[in-house]
Amino acid sequence: MTFRSMLLEVKDLSVAIGSHEVLKGVNLSAGESEIHYLLGPNAAGKTTLLSAIAGVPRVRVKSGKVVFDGVDVTSYPLNERAKMGIALAYQLPPELVGVSLRSLAKLVASRFNTEMYVERLSRMLSVETLLGRDSFKGFSGGERKRAELFLTSLMRPRLALLDEPDSGVDIDSLSLIAEAIEFIHEEFGSTMLIVTHTRLLMESVSAKEVHVLCNGGIIYRGPPGEVMGRLEEGGYRGLCAEVEGDGQR
Amino acid sequence: MASVEEVKRALQKPSPYGPDIDLSAYEADRAELVFKEPSGEVSLSARERVGISVDQATYVQVGETVFARAMAEKLFREYGVVVKPLFKALKEESVAQRLAWGLIKADQDKYTAYAYLYGGEAGYYVYVPPGVRVPVPIYTCLSLFSDNRVQTAHNVVYVDEGSEAIVTTGCLVPHGVRGGLHIGLSEFYVAEKARLVFAMIHSWGEGTNVRPRTIARVSEGGEYLSYYSIYSPVASIQAYPRVHLGRGASAKLVSVIAGSGPGIYDIGGGAVLEGEDSSAEIISRIIASRGSRIVSRSSIEALSSPAKGHIECLGVMLDNKSSIETIPVLRTSVEGAELTHEAAIGMLSGEKLEYLMARGLTEEEARSVLLRGYLTAEVKGIPPSVKAEIDRITEYVVKHALG
Repeated sequence: MTFRSMLLEVKDLSVAIGSHEVLKGVNLSAGESEIHYLLGPNAAGKTTLLSAIAGVPRVRVKSGKVVFDGVDVTSYPLNERAKMGIALAYQLPPELVGVSLRSLAKLVASRFNTEMYVERLSRMLSVETLLGRDSFKGFSGGERKRAELFLTSLMRPRLALLDEPDSGVDIDSLSLIAEAIEFIHEEFGSTMLIVTHTRLLMESVSAKEVHVLCNGGIIYRGPPGEVMGRLEEGGYRGLCAEVEGDGQR
Repeated sequence: MASVEEVKRALQKPSPYGPDIDLSAYEADRAELVFKEPSGEVSLSARERVGISVDQATYVQVGETVFARAMAEKLFREYGVVVKPLFKALKEESVAQRLAWGLIKADQDKYTAYAYLYGGEAGYYVYVPPGVRVPVPIYTCLSLFSDNRVQTAHNVVYVDEGSEAIVTTGCLVPHGVRGGLHIGLSEFYVAEKARLVFAMIHSWGEGTNVRPRTIARVSEGGEYLSYYSIYSPVASIQAYPRVHLGRGASAKLVSVIAGSGPGIYDIGGGAVLEGEDSSAEIISRIIASRGSRIVSRSSIEALSSPAKGHIECLGVMLDNKSSIETIPVLRTSVEGAELTHEAAIGMLSGEKLEYLMARGLTEEEARSVLLRGYLTAEVKGIPPSVKAEIDRITEYVVKHALG
């Protein structure tokens, strides 16, 4: 049996936003080039977990650590982690007045040496017509998600943290997004942690493991088929109550 | 036309906007034309502070002294374009005599009155004959060089039927000059189906007071694009340029104000839609920092219909010692006029900084990207040469606004 080191290790991570403790002792790990899903009911702390891994300053790590490629990055700032290859795709990216998507893409591509992918990815994600517009300003739900994945891809991520890349998008956008995720995974060998609320994406992009987050902790993990089976039986409410009742984490 | 007595009485008439200035605190020089090159200090300051090469400039004025630009004047004469000091044009050109003081009233306020009574009609006169598209920008440069002096400049531009011209003006004080008063009067005539692009960059000193007075008249089917920017500290600047639009005429007034010191920037723009199918856009982009107080006034009045007007103001504060106030006014009593406005002001968003940092940018780089975005007002349909000019000015403003 060969030992394969983990690219991402989240160890006993407790995180607060303001005075509210959102995550309580989360453990999660993902190996090189693996795809993982993170599921959970609304307000479970999924976005907070991705933010803590990425180093977003709004979230404050109280205890525990984030280890990336063997390096404890818990104290590293957001942009340093981005440079190391941790790319966070926002659920709701902000509107950037006067900053065209093209100029932002060029800037990101020049940082991560991905200029040769700009045209290909823009075509793949069908964002060519958005390139001349202010980033995210007046974009539809699908356009916003595709543009955000486009920019995230150009970071040549070693670890892509995708926060609901499929929410609020139509079926056509979803298939473009799924195709792009597969592309990033294959082309860059990216490890992925994807937050989703729908099974459509999970059916398009297969994963190694699914983690279920409830009330600030991972309460269940397993292969996608098994986890979805459990969720179909009793939903999040049932799974969270059942597992927490058993004292499991 | 007001009588001399009425103009003299107007010397006591403050502007309704901005702080009042005691004109007796300043001394005026006599306007003169000299046949030599401006000093190296002027050239260096013009290049460094407003990005204009004095060698390229067709008109250079330092204080009340105008430097003859024989070569540049000759270059434009090849296109039939006249560029010369106004005091010279008033002696030699009947058109200039007819146009000067045709739009600006000498008794408008104490500053126009002062320029009328005591100014030497320094400033530039530009005439572009019918059907001529001037292929290069007409660069002009005005520098104030002494702390206690007043500089008056009276500019008259006539772009005749079907012609096009770009006029770029840089106004500055050199490094180390802190005071002075600049009174700049500009009268722009845009004839039928003609187009005038006027780009201006200001770089003053902490103690400088600035009172520009600008009126443009755009005839049927004509187009006027004004791009104004200031990035320096100033004691106070108060300007409210106005444009009158005839049938089918259009105007776009863009102001980019980067307040960078504890001065007052009271800058606006007004449009009067006089003819049917006329339209105007007034766009302000504001960055307030280091204790600057910025008032952005905009007004559009529609007297005919159909007519369209839009006011847009975006402002961002970089510290809590600075302030921004926006005052948009829309006015009409005619049916079918479409007038709209939108405004948003606030601190530079931490969320946006954070977003860009998540893309690997440092905080300073993220700030620069956002500020550049704020300042890059959308100016669609402009020729590439003007776009290049505006990009150049924007780079200047961002560079200096960020210190």
